[in-house]
Amino acid sequence: MKWAEIKKKLDGWAYLASEFYNAPYRGVVARAKREQDDLFMLLIFSEMMGVPNPASYYTLELQPILLERFHEWHTRMGMEHSPLDDFRCC
Amino acid sequence: MHQLFDRRIIFVGGKGGVGKTTTAGALALMAGEVGRKTLLVSTDPAHSIGDVFDVQIGNEETPLGPNVWGLEIDPEIEAERHIAAVSMSMKSLVAPKMYGAIDRQLELAQHSPGMMEAALLERMADLMADAHSRFDLLIFDTAPSGHTLRLLSLPEMMAAWSDGMLGYQDRSRRLGDLLKVFGKGPSKDDEFGMIGGSKDEPEDSRNNRIKEILLTRRRKFHRTRELLTDAGVTAFLLVLTPERLPILESKKTLDVLNKFNVPVAAIVVNRLIPEDADGDFIRERRLQEAEYRAEIDHDFESIPKMYLPLLPHDVHGTDTLRDIGRLLMRQIERV
Repeated sequence: MKWAEIKKKLDGWAYLASEFYNAPYRGVVARAKREQDDLFMLLIFSEMMGVPNPASYYTLELQPILLERFHEWHTRMGMEHSPLDDFRCC
Repeated sequence: MHQLFDRRIIFVGGKGGVGKTTTAGALALMAGEVGRKTLLVSTDPAHSIGDVFDVQIGNEETPLGPNVWGLEIDPEIEAERHIAAVSMSMKSLVAPKMYGAIDRQLELAQHSPGMMEAALLERMADLMADAHSRFDLLIFDTAPSGHTLRLLSLPEMMAAWSDGMLGYQDRSRRLGDLLKVFGKGPSKDDEFGMIGGSKDEPEDSRNNRIKEILLTRRRKFHRTRELLTDAGVTAFLLVLTPERLPILESKKTLDVLNKFNVPVAAIVVNRLIPEDADGDFIRERRLQEAEYRAEIDHDFESIPKMYLPLLPHDVHGTDTLRDIGRLLMRQIERV
């Protein structure tokens, strides 16, 4: 079908065009979000890293929820293995 | 009805050894006598209401007299309870071989600084919020000033903390929303996959749970702050003796209480030398006492005062406490 082919092509171009404009922004925003999330993780798990945290009673109850993100986080922070002797997630 | 006992919460504070427990116990008995169901709560890690009433109390509400119950908060038990709950929900998320690691990790957390304090505050906040369904009046026999002041300032500090955490959480969520505008959301397979988190749970649902916990925390802190600073609900009684150090410390305490807007209802001046005591030694002491009383009148000018005499014997058992209570009741109209 001719129309269908044209439409497909146009869609492809539109996708490329929007990616051309959006991709750089997406990268910047994604990086900002990741930094934000890393900071949050650091605040929640600081105690585990040996940084005294006066709010540990309250951060503790958030740890179970963030546990599954823990591995991604410490590898991204440049630590290949879990930084905690007692807490081996990998 | 006496105005003081119309409040729902009374804090009794002051330097160590000035007679906080005696004052709190005597007031509790009096409130019970006028028909107010009263819970006397000790927040001092070195509990002494049990010793004064000659009853074994501990971390359970224990009857002390007509309409009066006692409770000695054990922050260690409270902290253990909190950690046990965290441990349960952590273990539901990981493989059983990790259980040992989690236990060791939480064991460390239990002894981290601030843990006991937060656990104590948690129990106090729960009591302040809920106890009025069972009791008309809560009387807190607090630990020596410094400790109590920190405790009273915690809700404000921690409210700021939860606000901050919610702020971070919110910023991350907004960046996530923005990311969706730029085409695809934070998906699993691109280089930003890590942000998206695990495949087990969508990021939104996890963020909502985090937000929920933080919001619950914040509500609790704000509620505690409100109760603490409401002069119609809470009264703070400052106990001191006419001596140099208790006066100096009480002045500092008063400044901090004012800073945090905690209303001070009255000052109890304890251990005044009775008029009929005699001897050269006592005369000397009385001269010194007069100076300090003048200082107290001057420094705490705007605050009502109640006076208690030095007794010839220790305060022990409900009979002596009741006598002291009567002395307080005669002066309490001013409060």
